[in-house]
Amino acid sequence: MRKTANMHRWLTFLVGALVASLALQAQMPFPGGNGPRAATTPAIDFSGWWTANLQEDGEERGAGPELVDYGGVPINEAGRLWALSYDPSRLTSRYHQCDGYVAPYSVRAIGNTRVWEERDSKTQTLVAIHWYSQTFEGHRVIWMDGRPHPPAYAPHTWMGFSTGTFVGNALRVQTTHLKQGWLRRNGLPESDQATLTEFFVRHGDHITYTSVINDPVFLAEPMIRTTDFYRQPADPGSWLFPCDDGEQVMGRAPDQVPSYPTGRHPFLDEYSNKHGVALIGALGGADTMYAEFEPRLKSASEVEARTKAVPANVPAATSRAVDPDPHDGEIHVLPIRAGLFLLVGDGGNIVVQTGDEGALVVNAGEGKLTAKVVAAIRGLSKKPVQFIANTNSRDAYTGGNAGLKKAGVDPSVVGTFLSMQDPGAGASAAIIAHENVAARMSSNKAISPEAVPIDTFSVERRRKFHNGETIELFHTPHAVTDGDSIVHFRRADVIVAGDLMDTTRYPYIDLASGGSVKGFIDGLNAILARTVYEHSGEGGTLVVPGHGYLCDEHEVVEYRDMLAIIRDRVQALIAAGASLQQVQTARVTADYDTRYGANSGSWTTEQFLEVVYNSLKQAAPRR
Amino acid sequence: MLGRWFTGLMVVATAFAQGPPGATPSKPQPPNARRAAPFDPSGYWVAQITEDWRQRIQSAKKGDVGGIPLNANGRRVANARDPERDAASGDVCKAYGVGGILRMPGRLHITWEDDNLLKIESDAGTQTRLLSFTSPRGQAGDWQGISTVTWDRPRGAISGFMLGSPVGAGGSMKVVTTQAKPGYLSRNGAPYGASAIFTEYYDLFQIPGGDALLVVSVEVTDPEFLSGPYWYSVHFKKQADATGWAPRPCTSK
Repeated sequence: MRKTANMHRWLTFLVGALVASLALQAQMPFPGGNGPRAATTPAIDFSGWWTANLQEDGEERGAGPELVDYGGVPINEAGRLWALSYDPSRLTSRYHQCDGYVAPYSVRAIGNTRVWEERDSKTQTLVAIHWYSQTFEGHRVIWMDGRPHPPAYAPHTWMGFSTGTFVGNALRVQTTHLKQGWLRRNGLPESDQATLTEFFVRHGDHITYTSVINDPVFLAEPMIRTTDFYRQPADPGSWLFPCDDGEQVMGRAPDQVPSYPTGRHPFLDEYSNKHGVALIGALGGADTMYAEFEPRLKSASEVEARTKAVPANVPAATSRAVDPDPHDGEIHVLPIRAGLFLLVGDGGNIVVQTGDEGALVVNAGEGKLTAKVVAAIRGLSKKPVQFIANTNSRDAYTGGNAGLKKAGVDPSVVGTFLSMQDPGAGASAAIIAHENVAARMSSNKAISPEAVPIDTFSVERRRKFHNGETIELFHTPHAVTDGDSIVHFRRADVIVAGDLMDTTRYPYIDLASGGSVKGFIDGLNAILARTVYEHSGEGGTLVVPGHGYLCDEHEVVEYRDMLAIIRDRVQALIAAGASLQQVQTARVTADYDTRYGANSGSWTTEQFLEVVYNSLKQAAPRR
Repeated sequence: MLGRWFTGLMVVATAFAQGPPGATPSKPQPPNARRAAPFDPSGYWVAQITEDWRQRIQSAKKGDVGGIPLNANGRRVANARDPERDAASGDVCKAYGVGGILRMPGRLHITWEDDNLLKIESDAGTQTRLLSFTSPRGQAGDWQGISTVTWDRPRGAISGFMLGSPVGAGGSMKVVTTQAKPGYLSRNGAPYGASAIFTEYYDLFQIPGGDALLVVSVEVTDPEFLSGPYWYSVHFKKQADATGWAPRPCTSK
């Protein structure tokens, strides 16, 4: 009897389960449709070891591409000229020796890949898919939990920031915040403004991978490539890719950046001649991707081909980069690390250091949103502002001095001997800067005396220990002005570069205030002399630009390279007897204009070239 | 007692198998690949030559076959290739067969001939492929061979007492082609033989900017001329119309 009762219970369960199962099946979306299941269920598992098949573009992806092999790459003029200027000797610079690959290039690189899922330990929902490439230890995290992308002022990395969704039988990944890197490692650049859309599809033990790169700076059309991976049955091992830089070329001056002069690439025809490819095709461009281009390989004239290798006689292009400042009348806060925060929104970037003592603020912004800046700092620090450091005298960094100072206090001097000289000592924050900053601001009657730094220094280095942190201010002579400093938070390993670094425009140099091209490059090299990357030339020391997104060494190097290369071009024209107007019309910045150029506003390409020209003319040795 | 349980079980199962109450008993439906398609591949598609450009946009120098894993026999044939001889022997379309047509610069025009028959025309070489979801189509020994087509869907998770393996979301179009006339994998004569097997997966993606992208991933096996499987993948961007569609004859140059 007991046996029969157990059987009844078992059968009841069986029937219930069958009914439930059939009912569930009846509710499923149309087979293959992209219904709700597709959005919520990780339908495809990519976990395992994979190896990229190099049967397509194998030479390029393996041993490396040849110079001036750009065919089929939809580069615009800037991309082509950037690549033609690229001298592979640049890799001997210690700041480029360990450069990693950007995500879309990393995926196509030679070597093995390991993929694993990260799941929430409590709910077992998919949090992220990790894609780890052996080459340069490219570790991508593809967030699957619906989190938003960071703001535009957040750092850029080789791998960028990726989010994924399952769409049908594909994993679709969207990536932003990439560093400038290779489209192809023969100089073809991919800018830091590029975004990447990818599709991963499994066909059994095979992955078909499709990447779509949109780069408004260097591409005329999206660059689309497809790659195949095959599954490895066992761990292929050898996952690390160590790299430390060293001295490869002894005696090279730190401001020398190898590049080919415009129109004088020494190997322009080498690839073309070797492989029987017409130069006009080898020089690439969107049209070379399509069938219509095939006849031009035979019909294009020599002159037509060579014209493609120099700047066209057209007006200068303008920047296609996104300004990381939302310009929405609000102050935006980004944690940096170790009690440091970036405040974006009031002109120049502001850095706030918090801790047990009063806040130390580097730069005060333009002063249009000081009340909101003060409110933002109060949200970060229990203590009021105690110190304000200015990296130079320009309005974008000192406009908020008076307001910020008034909102702060400096208890370190209250009741001290300084009170005998000034009874109000300590009633407001103290402003620190190089003495030339104070001198320039004092001489400007439009500036309130309250805004002028009172705690000044005249030597190379000013040091301070505050909030448990070692802080150094280094004077960088004759850079933007004659009073620039960089501020290094040594424990946090963050350098505030002020005007010396700007991801939004060409270097601003104020000749009338003592700035110079040489001093600017020296200033950038002074930053690089203090940076240490974490791996593959990224991470480690962070650098806060005066305007733009939070950087590290790599962005500073690219910015330094750009200025040094343009300097060399202008210098060569000056040596050939060119006038300012001739320099301005020669389009010597054509490969950088889509990233930094402007034809209107407060700092145009024309103004920049005028400053470079005049600065170099001033510095020219007298005979 | 047990007999009653089993009877009840069968009644419930039969009821679900017949569909919801009140529904008309369904008649067996003829296969309809078009209706079952996870995506519609029809339309005009333009090839973007962004990989192996040197070998695809033109006929590269003799022997410059990129990463095609030719065996010694394959290399020998490739190095001996003579375009004039191909033209003279009537084999001017050797690079436009199933093994080479997708890598040609040009456009595809894909249409549904009926609910189970897909036609792929290419303007390069004026070639036509017929892909049938019901029975193999094509002719043994011609350039495009005989193809069988299926929708290849990922398997979903098996849960509870669900019988069989449910189908996951999305899917690819899988085409397996055999018995093609020997031809070239590249315009400059990397060969494939009569026993080569071509397995193609077609996938459709929507990319930023609103464009549709057709990606075809191909595996070629050929014991005669290849040392191992040859994988390549190509992509085509969808066009709104026939702009640029330019049928032209094969050329061995």
